[in-house]
Amino acid sequence: MRGRRLAAALTAALLAAGTVSGCAASRALAPLGAADLTTVTTAGTHDAGTITWNLPYEPFTLDPLKSFNYAENTAIANMCESLLRLKPDLTTEGALAQKVDSPNPLTWVYRLRGDVTFWDGTAMTARDVVASLRRNLDPAAGTYWGQYFENVRSIDASGPLEVTVRLKQPDVLFNKAMATAAGAVMKADFIARAGSRLGNPQTGVMCTGPFKLATWRSGDHMLLVRNDHYWDPALRPVSGALDFRFIADETTAVNALRSGEIDGQYFYLPPANISLLRLADQGRLTAGKSLVGFTLIGAAATGPFADPRIRQALLSATDRQAVSRVIFQDTALPARALASEEYWGYERTTFADAYAHLPDTRVDLAKAKALVAASGQAGKPITIAIQGSSAVHAMAGSILQATGRTLGLDIRIRTVPVEQYGNLYVDPQARKGIDAFFSTWYGNVADPLDALSTFTLGNRNNYNDYATVDAALRAARAEQDPARRAKLVVDIQRHVTEDAPWLPLEQLPVLLYQSKRITGATASFAYLYYPWAAKLGTP
Amino acid sequence: MNPWLKFVSKRLAGLVVVFFAASFLVFSLLYLAPGSPISFLLGNRSGTPEQIAAIRAQYHLDDPFLTRYAAWLGGILHGDLGQSIVYRQDVAALIGARIPTTAALVGYASVIILIVGVAIGLLAALRPGWVDATLRGGMTVALSTPPFVVGVLLILVFALSLGWFPVFGAGRGFADTVWHLTLPALALAGGGAAFLGRITRAATRGELARDHVETARARGLGESRVITRHVVRNALIPVVTVAGLTVASLVAGAVVVESVFAVDGLGSLLVRAILQRDFVVVQALVLLLVVTFIVINTIVDVIYLLVDPRIKA
Repeated sequence: MRGRRLAAALTAALLAAGTVSGCAASRALAPLGAADLTTVTTAGTHDAGTITWNLPYEPFTLDPLKSFNYAENTAIANMCESLLRLKPDLTTEGALAQKVDSPNPLTWVYRLRGDVTFWDGTAMTARDVVASLRRNLDPAAGTYWGQYFENVRSIDASGPLEVTVRLKQPDVLFNKAMATAAGAVMKADFIARAGSRLGNPQTGVMCTGPFKLATWRSGDHMLLVRNDHYWDPALRPVSGALDFRFIADETTAVNALRSGEIDGQYFYLPPANISLLRLADQGRLTAGKSLVGFTLIGAAATGPFADPRIRQALLSATDRQAVSRVIFQDTALPARALASEEYWGYERTTFADAYAHLPDTRVDLAKAKALVAASGQAGKPITIAIQGSSAVHAMAGSILQATGRTLGLDIRIRTVPVEQYGNLYVDPQARKGIDAFFSTWYGNVADPLDALSTFTLGNRNNYNDYATVDAALRAARAEQDPARRAKLVVDIQRHVTEDAPWLPLEQLPVLLYQSKRITGATASFAYLYYPWAAKLGTP
Repeated sequence: MNPWLKFVSKRLAGLVVVFFAASFLVFSLLYLAPGSPISFLLGNRSGTPEQIAAIRAQYHLDDPFLTRYAAWLGGILHGDLGQSIVYRQDVAALIGARIPTTAALVGYASVIILIVGVAIGLLAALRPGWVDATLRGGMTVALSTPPFVVGVLLILVFALSLGWFPVFGAGRGFADTVWHLTLPALALAGGGAAFLGRITRAATRGELARDHVETARARGLGESRVITRHVVRNALIPVVTVAGLTVASLVAGAVVVESVFAVDGLGSLLVRAILQRDFVVVQALVLLLVVTFIVINTIVDVIYLLVDPRIKA
C-alpha cells in the first residue's frame, strides 16, 4: 500500500509539473489567427547532412495508389512526382507534364517533359504514365483514388511523350487530382515486376523525384538520399539525406524533438503538450495554410441524426471558439463551412462574398432549442463514435455530449480503437448503430468543389445519402468555366451548410516543427504532395 | 531410450499440442471479434460495392472459419507464414526485422532482473533490520509502479534533464543498442526484479530456518559455506521457476515500454496486428511466443536438473 501511495504521489507530481508548464505556456501564447498561416519557411542555405524527420506512424506502403493518408504521402511527396504539382501556395503547375490541353470537355491531353529520368537512369515516357494511371482503373489493384477516376473512359499514349485521357462525362476534378498522388508516375517495368509487393519495404518504388529511396527497414527507419540527376534545378535538394523515423506516441515524439534527436515533424493534430514546442528555444513551430478540417461526419440515414434540424441545432449550439481553445490549444480556427478560405483557388471574390453570408460561428442556443423542439426528436439516443487513444476525440465527444444535454439530446459516445476506426469510412457493418463520427477530413486540391463532391449520391462517403445537391454537384464538376463553376459551388455550399450533413467544426492548420539546425520545409498542406524537403538545409 | 532423447521428444510433442491449442484459440477469437482489416485494403475514401466485393474475395475475408484456418495451417506446413494484408509484405520479413530489437530488449531486461533480483533478495534475507526494511520498501514501490510511469520518469530525468540517454529508438550496433535500450530495459525490468527479489528473499529465509542449516552451523561449517552450499542452492528451485516465467512473459509485457520509448518490436507489432485483424501476423507471433515460452521452460527444467540431482529428466 505504501508503494501505491508513493506511486500516486509521483503521478500527481508529474501531472502538476505538466499543468504548471501548461499555464506558463498559455500565458505566453496568443491564439492562432488566419493571418498567422504561412506557406513556406525560409529556404536552407547549406547542406545539413542527414536530416532526421518523424512520421506520425510507419507508412503501410509507399505505393501511391494505396497512399491517401498523412505518413504515406509525407514520405512519397519527396520521391514520386505527378503529372502536375501542388505548390506551397496551393495553386498548381506543370511537373512531369509540361503542358495540359483540353480540346473538348471529354478529353485531357498531357504533353510530357522529355528530360525526365527515373532514379535508375532510364527515361520517363508516355508508357510509364499510362501504366501508372491505368492501375487506378483496375478493380483488382484496389486504388484509394477511385473518386477521381470514376468518370475516366480510357488512358492511352498518343505519342512517345503524350498521354490522352478520355472521360465518360466532363470532370474538372480529374485534372486537378493529377497534382496529387493520384497522378503519381512510376516506371512501367518496375510496376509489372513488383506485382503485389510494390511499395513494401523490400521492393520499394521507382520514381523520378528529388529524393530516392535508399533503405526502408521495417519498424526502424526509412532513408531517402538526394537524386543528383533530378530534372528540375529549382527543387534540387539542398541537403544530402532525409531519415524518417516512426514515433507514434506523441509525448515521445515531442520529447525527441525537444532533445534534438529529431529535427522536425508535421502534426495534423496538435499533440497534448504542444505548448512545449511553441515555447521551445531549440526550434520553431510554424502554422501553415491547410485544407484539413475537424468535422463531425453524419452517418445516419435514419433516426434523429438523419433529421437536418437536429444537426443544425447541434452545430449552432456548439461553441466552436471554445473547441479551438480547449481542445486544439488555440491552434485551430472555428469553421463556418467544410471548405475553408484556403480552398478558394479561383474566383476568390465570389467565394469570399458567399462565405461572409454564411451563418457565423457564434453560439445560438435559442435557435438550437427551437430547432430541436420543432423536430420532435428530443430525448432519442444519438451515438457518436470517437477514436480510441485520441485526446482530441475524447474531449470533443464530451463537449458535444454536454451541448446535447442543454438541448435535450441524448448523445452517447462509443470508442473505437484507432486501428479499427478507418473501417467507419468504408464498412457499413462498422457504422451500424453509429450516427456520426469525428474526422480530420481533407480535400486534396484548392477547389471547394473537391471538399463538397462527397455529397454526390452514390459516393462512398455520403453516408446519410444526402441528395439535395446531387444534380448541382454533377453540373459543377462538368463546368469548365471557373466563374460559372464558382457560382454553382457557392450555391451547393449554401445548401450543405444549412442542412449540415457533416458538421464543420474547425479548420486545422498544418503544424510544422523544425529544430534550429534546419529550415526550409514547406509549411502548407502541400507537404502531402509537394517535395517539401527539397529546400531543407542549415539556416 | 536415451533419457535426453526422451526429454527432447516429450518437449517437442508438448510444443505441438500447445501451439495447436493456442493458434486455434487465437484464430477463433479474432474471427469472432467484430472488426475487419478492410479499411487497410481500401483506404478511407474509395471503392464501389463491386470493388469491395472483389477485394474481400481476393483476401478470402468471407471464407468460413475452418477454411481460413486450414489454409493458414497448410501454408505453415509448407514453411510459408503468409503475407500481411495490412503491410503487404511477407510476415517472415515483418517479424524478422523486429526480432533483434525485442530480443535485445528482453535479453537486457532479463539480465537486469536476474542480477538485481537475486542480489537484493539475498541481501534482504541475510541482512535483517534496516537493510531488509529499506529493500522491501523499494521492492514494493517497484512492483506497484506501472512500467509506463517508470518509463516516463526515466525519460524526464535521464534523457531530457541530464541528457545521458536518448529519448527513443533501439539503436544500431552493439554499444549504441545498449545505450539506447538501457532506459527501456530498466523500465521493463523494474517489476520483475522486485518480484524475483521477494521470492529470493522468502526462499532464502525459509531455507535459513531449516534444520539442516542449523545442523551445518552446529558442525562448525563456515557461514559463507553454509550460505552458498546449504541455503542458496536449495533456495534456487523456486527462484529459477519464477525467473523463467518472468522472463518468458517479458516479450508480451514489452508492449507498453516499446510504445513509451518508440521501440518498434514484437510486442507493439502483436497488439497492432490484433487490433487491425491482421490474422496471419497474429498467428505467426503466437507461434513465436509459444516456441519462446517452451524453450525458456525447457531451459528452466535443465537448470532444475543441474541444481537438484534428485529431479529426474
